[in-house]
Amino acid sequence: MSSLLSHEIGYSAPIEVHNHGFSPYVNNEGTSLGICGEDFVLVASDTRQSNGGYSINARRSPKAFELSNRTVIATTGCAADAKQLVEDMEQRAQYYVHKHGREMSTPAMAQVLSQLLYTRRFFPYYVFPIFAGLDAKGKGAVYNYDAIGNIECVSHYAYGSAAALLQPFLDNQINKAHQRGADTTAKPSRAQAVKLAIDAFTSATERDIYTGDWLEIFIVDSEGVHKLTRELKHD
Amino acid sequence: MSIMEYCGAAIVAMVGKDCVAIASDKRLGQQQLTVDMEFQKVFPITERTYIGLSGLATDVKTLHDRLRMRVNLYKHREERVIEPKTFTHLLSHMLYERRFGSYFISPVVAGLDKNNRPYICALDTIGCIDSSSDFVVCGTAATNLYGACESLWEPDLGPEELFETISQTLLSSIDRDAMSGWGAVVHIITPSGVITRDLKSRMD
Amino acid sequence: MDRYSFSLTTFSPNGKLLQIEHALAAVGNGSTSVGIKAANGVVVATEKKTGSSLIDVSSLEHMAMICDSIGMVYSGMGPDFRVLVNRARKAAQTYRRTYMEDPPVRILVKELAGVMQEFTQSGGVRPFGVSLLLAGVDDRGPNLYQVDPSGSYFPWKATAIGKNMVNSKTFLEKRFNGDMELEDAVYTAILTLKEGFEGQMTEQSIDVGIISTIPAVEGEDTLKQSKFQRLTQAEIKDYLSNIA
Repeated sequence: MSSLLSHEIGYSAPIEVHNHGFSPYVNNEGTSLGICGEDFVLVASDTRQSNGGYSINARRSPKAFELSNRTVIATTGCAADAKQLVEDMEQRAQYYVHKHGREMSTPAMAQVLSQLLYTRRFFPYYVFPIFAGLDAKGKGAVYNYDAIGNIECVSHYAYGSAAALLQPFLDNQINKAHQRGADTTAKPSRAQAVKLAIDAFTSATERDIYTGDWLEIFIVDSEGVHKLTRELKHD
Repeated sequence: MSIMEYCGAAIVAMVGKDCVAIASDKRLGQQQLTVDMEFQKVFPITERTYIGLSGLATDVKTLHDRLRMRVNLYKHREERVIEPKTFTHLLSHMLYERRFGSYFISPVVAGLDKNNRPYICALDTIGCIDSSSDFVVCGTAATNLYGACESLWEPDLGPEELFETISQTLLSSIDRDAMSGWGAVVHIITPSGVITRDLKSRMD
Repeated sequence: MDRYSFSLTTFSPNGKLLQIEHALAAVGNGSTSVGIKAANGVVVATEKKTGSSLIDVSSLEHMAMICDSIGMVYSGMGPDFRVLVNRARKAAQTYRRTYMEDPPVRILVKELAGVMQEFTQSGGVRPFGVSLLLAGVDDRGPNLYQVDPSGSYFPWKATAIGKNMVNSKTFLEKRFNGDMELEDAVYTAILTLKEGFEGQMTEQSIDVGIISTIPAVEGEDTLKQSKFQRLTQAEIKDYLSNIA
């Protein structure tokens, strides 16, 4: 039948197929880490932004942010999603202040972040956050999440393109699992934590092309949030 | 999953002061299934040249057997012991012979030459030599090892310091790689002999 | 003609392969070559004999570099020598390709001796009509080897092959000592050739090649193994003028 029809028409028109692929996610690469101290926490991120290729979108595009005067967040993944997520978090924090007349506690904010991520369970933010702050007793707490809100409270963590490079080093220097006679429960001092963060990133920039340019370190202690900036390799 | 990640391995070699170290994990797996916890991946080639072979286990064994044959032939023909650098070029040549049907192997060589100078290098599956003056890594835990080495290694470590450094590096790295671990072995090659030590590690 | 002189692979009743004896005779007719191992290198020298004064002797090549660290001269048949030079160069490059370094002299000698032996046992071929002197340096220091048409090889402190072999060797036995430096060895080699040299010896009528164990300076402060080199006519002329 079809052959008869095409015979009658005399030709068959080529059918052009257009694929309108919708890819809403981009991985902007880069690395973030968090370290928990006794009475402080630290998060650090590099500021290079790229898209998984050989080009650099921006050399100074921060992905760690101060959320309140006792909490900070470091992200990796999609920068646009991260920005949206952080603004949402800030808004939630503000609402809480208006409603309750005081600032939200750190564990509460950690829980809010988890909830926010899970609301997008079937169209998630492509963000892997490390959230850190001081709890009500002034003790440090670092939380890491997957993109849909699974939460874990840890002593240290690394996310992003150089996570595999940083994590074993941090495990070794902070948990000291294989060091005979070492105190495996001791937390790093503030100076040690800053040194570890700088060392870790300096090393990461040697092997990971997506990590580099500048390092932003946020330290939260009883006095509030302190920010340090260090230069990393630009190549 | 890549055939290079089928069995799992973590191998690292480091340069010290007048010594070199080479270490590996002991796991043999078939993807996520662990088959052997005493699988040898580092082999002595001469009294002061060692090779670590990561990749597909059958190729590890076959290549080691062929290398042993070639090195023995060399020893008899030339009446001398092969130098680490010469051995590396022999290995490179043997790998490139199979340019279009390669062994699924990425090797690491570590040794002291006749002047007691440390020599380490890594090769890709078809024999491209990547020589280094600090450390080389290979296996499924390569990224982890790079990160740890980059931060923990320092120049001019003596044999015992080098042992500690390479052990810490390897153990920290295999703990974050599901495909490698289950015990480890370290060889420290010094002018006066080789020190071999087995390391206990997490068995999970 | 007796029936053992044609087939290579047939022994004569007294246990000899006559074709090999004949090949040695061809070597005995060839121009003399000498080699001397000095404390810090090796020298080889040979006559460049010509049938006619019309030949441009500068084009004659009686000596060849096999690889940077090894050189070779011959007595006997020139065309056969060139075949062996090609084989030797190929063997040296194959070794380099595998190990990224020059072959030790003994390894190359065994390779060539193997080739020459094969030509005493294969069908449809004849033995090479040359004896070779190989001069080279390796891990073990300076080396001087002789390879014969049969495939036999010998390490020497000093030796001679070719027409004037017997006299030259007698001369060398008197003059050689193990502490000799390369420079002295060059003079001794030339003097040895001069024994029984027909006609006037000039820079055009001999070829001299040297290889030193002393590394050459390359660039700022990098040392590299010295290469086997044929002396230029000017250099040979200097040596000759010092002798005369």
